Amino acid sequence: MRVTVCFYSYFRDLTGCTATSEELPEGSTLDSLFQRLVARFPRLAEMQKATLMAVGVEYQNRSYVLREGDEVSLFPPVQGG
Amino acid sequence: MKRQLTITTEPIDEVALLAQRAMSSGMGAVVYFLGVVRGTEGTANISALEYEAFQRMAEHQINLLYDEMAKRWLVESVRLVHRVGLVKTGEPSLWIEVVGRHRGEAFAACQWLIDELKRVAPIWKTPVAGES
Repeated sequence: MRVTVCFYSYFRDLTGCTATSEELPEGSTLDSLFQRLVARFPRLAEMQKATLMAVGVEYQNRSYVLREGDEVSLFPPVQGG
Repeated sequence: MKRQLTITTEPIDEVALLAQRAMSSGMGAVVYFLGVVRGTEGTANISALEYEAFQRMAEHQINLLYDEMAKRWLVESVRLVHRVGLVKTGEPSLWIEVVGRHRGEAFAACQWLIDELKRVAPIWKTPVAGES
């Protein structure tokens, strides 16, 4: 299955892109997606513990099981206000 | 609970917002908060903050906060404006107004909303260097 991944804030600098896509086996979790992304974009590793993840417009934890077509977003801790 | 939410690159117009205030006769408290960009970030002088939002998600998350707020307090209305893009030092980046029956619930609801916004709304800011 294929999912799209968007990066926000300085994650765009860490990855050098605003978005990408990833082909994953069925049943893959957000955590397995993140590990693949770290392999492609090694600078993401330094944010391993601070990365927030969303699918669509909802926060999800790393055990979330992905589905075909999911729109995943990765970003650092938020700082509104 | 009536609700308004605006995430905009336009400057926050306090006068216009105050002129648009509506409250019923049973309401006795209006609390509003204005967040302004400071001229320093840590020890460095800055000239502005550049705000970025994942707007669709920020709107959804703030609406979830409104839902929770309506369960917790008897609030008649809430309005929130968050500016994005370049916001210069001294300019407001956030405006929130809560109308309630009494000051206690209006203060509590407004404080809670600001705290939660900072925790869950996907909005980020980058300092723009100023004169040293």
